[in-house]
Amino acid sequence: MTIDCEQTEHRRLLETLACSEAGRVKGFAEKLLPELGAVEVLKSRSGLVMLPMRDTVRGTDFHLGEVLVAEAHVKLADAEGYGMVVGRDLEHAMAMALIDAAAFAGLARERIGAFVEAEATIIAETDRQTLRAIEATRVEMETVG
Amino acid sequence: MSYVAARGGEQAIEQSERLYRERLGTIDATRVDAIARSLPWLVDRIMGEASLYAPRLAALALAQSGGDLYEAVLLLRAWRTTQPRLAVAEPLRQDKLFTHRRISAAFKDIPGGQILGPTLDYSHRILRTDILDGAGLEPEPVEMSPEPAPPHQPSLASWQKAQGLVVDFERQDVPKQDIPDLTREPLLFPAGRAHRLQSLARADTGGLMALGYAVMRGYGPSHPTVNELRLVEADVEISHPRGTVFSAGRVRVSQAEVASKAGAETIDLGFCATLGWNEVKIIAGGTLDLNEPHATKGSPFEEEFFLSHTEPVEGAGFCQHFKLPHYVTFQSTLDAMRDARRKQAEMASQAAAEEPAE
Repeated sequence: MTIDCEQTEHRRLLETLACSEAGRVKGFAEKLLPELGAVEVLKSRSGLVMLPMRDTVRGTDFHLGEVLVAEAHVKLADAEGYGMVVGRDLEHAMAMALIDAAAFAGLARERIGAFVEAEATIIAETDRQTLRAIEATRVEMETVG
Repeated sequence: MSYVAARGGEQAIEQSERLYRERLGTIDATRVDAIARSLPWLVDRIMGEASLYAPRLAALALAQSGGDLYEAVLLLRAWRTTQPRLAVAEPLRQDKLFTHRRISAAFKDIPGGQILGPTLDYSHRILRTDILDGAGLEPEPVEMSPEPAPPHQPSLASWQKAQGLVVDFERQDVPKQDIPDLTREPLLFPAGRAHRLQSLARADTGGLMALGYAVMRGYGPSHPTVNELRLVEADVEISHPRGTVFSAGRVRVSQAEVASKAGAETIDLGFCATLGWNEVKIIAGGTLDLNEPHATKGSPFEEEFFLSHTEPVEGAGFCQHFKLPHYVTFQSTLDAMRDARRKQAEMASQAAAEEPAE
């Protein structure tokens, strides 16, 4: 697997875990926990991420403001895992970090793959429904006269 | 005359706080969640002015302050200082924003089309008093389109630049860690564009509206037209320790490009964006940005004027501080006034004494 391909897959894993319903991610991580061995928690905290934006007129990058996030960083025997989610749900970030660590260590590969696939499908379908509602507000204009 | 320390009023202060809180009643998570669910536009406004995206905390601030917006913004800004900054996200780019609403008042046929999204712009505003008599207001469900809208759209300005309608300014790449930051540097004038746009993003909605409205009514040279207005959800993209860039979730953002009607060869544009969905703020902010190059000293659209006077915590705090004891200052004014009167009376009586008898 190439580095690009690995990163794309890793990105999909992380984004899916961050954007999924927190309860399901926590539930899945709990099931994985007995298989992970000793877990060292390096970080579990809330904090802020500064969010810049690019102005469309002059192309200037500027700061819009800060976003509250929850962050977790864990270490297993052979792997580290990291989680960050928008909001202050430390357990969600911790569950994400544990699943990330398990995936990096090559543990429960198939189950993690299936979970991520199922969650990604739910997210995609939710977005699709949102966009169908948005599309219903598209204006078809005619010039009169 | 010197300053004096004064004591007293501890009991009254304690009871006044109790009286204030008693009137708000019990605040619990249920009330906070109800505010977050039922007042999303207000929550967004508070988050933009607090410069902190945290919907549940914004709802909590509203609950605690009983809806006093400046108090709520102050609570959030103060809480923000207790948190470490963990990272700087990737800069948001327009062609990656999950777009809910995108309209233009300047061009009918914009590439990608006009999407109204959630709005009451074209609806009758009627206060439904029947709800107070027991009727319910169940929203009609949206009749979904069979196909989804495209999630992403380029900015209208980028299309106009390609058409030669708008000047394509050369941009300087600044590493994201080095983007000027008002939370760590003072706002000095003339402000850099990054400071100006950050300051507008954090500004008080009412303040920007008042000054922007003054410009629109004719105190500024450029009458605005909304070139493009967008309400979006933006991915907060951060770097994993192993280098993978990923989205930690989405936040609501609004942005507006405002065009001048008076352009000669090209269209002049102003820009404003903020956290949360808040259309009045970004239209007013974009109008001020558009007009600023033509500003005269002390006009409402002069950068120093509108940025200095739309900072909500500073402005509200300054207004509020006039309620606090100014006894020494005021006593000094009274002393000066009495002294002037005494001297005036002395001069009058002296003049009367010196007047020759008839």
